[in-house]
Amino acid sequence: MLRSCTAGLRSLWALCGRREGAPRLSTDLPPAPRLFSTEKVIHKDWSLPNPSWSKDFKLLFDQFMKKCEDGSWERLPSYKHRSTQKSEDFKTYFLEPKLVKEERVSQVQLFTRGFEDGLGFEYVIFSNNDEKRTVCLFQGGPYLQGIPGFLHGGAMATMIDTALGSCAAIPGGIVMTANLNINFKRPVPICSVVVINSQLDKLEGRKLFLSCNVRSVDEKTLYSEATGLFIKLDPEKSLT
Amino acid sequence: MLRRGFQAAVILGHHGARPGATHLLPRFNPASAFGSSMESLVSRFCQEMTEGKNYALPNASWGPDMLSLYHEFLEKTKTDGWVRVPSFRSNRDHIRGFKLPLELSANSDKSDWRLFTRCIEREGQGYEYVIFFQPSEKKSICLFQPGPYLEGVPGFAHGGSLAALIDETFSKTAYLSGEGLLTVNFNIRFKNLIPLGSLAVLNVNVEKIEDQKMYLSCVTQSRDQQTVYAKASGTFLQMPLEEDSSQH
Repeated sequence: MLRSCTAGLRSLWALCGRREGAPRLSTDLPPAPRLFSTEKVIHKDWSLPNPSWSKDFKLLFDQFMKKCEDGSWERLPSYKHRSTQKSEDFKTYFLEPKLVKEERVSQVQLFTRGFEDGLGFEYVIFSNNDEKRTVCLFQGGPYLQGIPGFLHGGAMATMIDTALGSCAAIPGGIVMTANLNINFKRPVPICSVVVINSQLDKLEGRKLFLSCNVRSVDEKTLYSEATGLFIKLDPEKSLT
Repeated sequence: MLRRGFQAAVILGHHGARPGATHLLPRFNPASAFGSSMESLVSRFCQEMTEGKNYALPNASWGPDMLSLYHEFLEKTKTDGWVRVPSFRSNRDHIRGFKLPLELSANSDKSDWRLFTRCIEREGQGYEYVIFFQPSEKKSICLFQPGPYLEGVPGFAHGGSLAALIDETFSKTAYLSGEGLLTVNFNIRFKNLIPLGSLAVLNVNVEKIEDQKMYLSCVTQSRDQQTVYAKASGTFLQMPLEEDSSQH
């Protein structure tokens, strides 16, 4: 098990301030103003309906937007690219400079947002801060296939990681995945919509224990259940 | 070739009381199940396609580490019985002449469906990987070089991308070792970040086959084995494919 965030524990998913791709550090640095010609593209919010969203997906989206009206729920925006300044800040605080390759910064994009509309991950996350839980609406497109006609388990694992991470970030700020354990019950058909309900089960120092279930829109089908362990990053300690 | 698994209870004939759960799979007859020998599985699965691209071949984006290890294993395919597993855009291309068991058949066969780990076409941008399988030991090696589109933490591969590739390697290994088809359970422990553009080596073993389930393990590490990136385990359900008489 993890002892500390430095030596033993690493991983992928750093959800900074629960906004994917546009991290706010726990120290809350304001972004340095920069002018890029592609500024609009960088700041497009992908967690909004587009023509590839099915009717079910849009209906559910509207239901949750209604819940946001009284402030108990919040829709999390989602960006494909982090601004260069924010990437630099993250690296300064958490990564050893010599291990970071500088050349390809401009080419990178967040893994779950690297697809054209409807082909890959279409998702939006709603967060309830008081109850420390999130709901992720997810529609998996044809590029996420495993067995013909069904979603790849790894694509589902990526979304479960994303959903649990967003939930962990409510109390945890910048977090990283340590462990994931997923039980698959039924295959998810490509282009269907599923609902991932995540909650925080336990908080122990910098360790966050979470669980989620993946269900159909009518809640009658349980596709999978998962648990995860996330670690809150310590700005005093390097990750690499 | 794998994905969501069904609850083992359904397989073994317990009719689940879950609301809305239909009995999805036929009862298995253990005596007749899984008669395909590994040889026939390998030859059926690994048949070269005359049309369509085989992605499990070097391209300009492969770094020197990946290339040299690839050639080492290519040598082993000639001398030690290793098999290089071809990789096509869709799993459908691996199973020509066969189809999924009836309950899993999808309604239509859209040509734009892609295997998740082959979804990014541009060389070097997403998943660059190749799998080598050793039939006599039921184990695999996967060489993985993540590109910039797989980013999670700035400069490093998204954990979900690694999880997906481990699941994919499990799936190919499980199928070739005994028609393992669907992921039932997947567990991953992340240890270290994989820098984008570097080589990660996945070592997959079939630990056990029991009650129509296959248990696999994976250690992902750097080439020199000094850094362990992740450890994972997976359980797969064995399900034989059916002959597809409609295909030529």
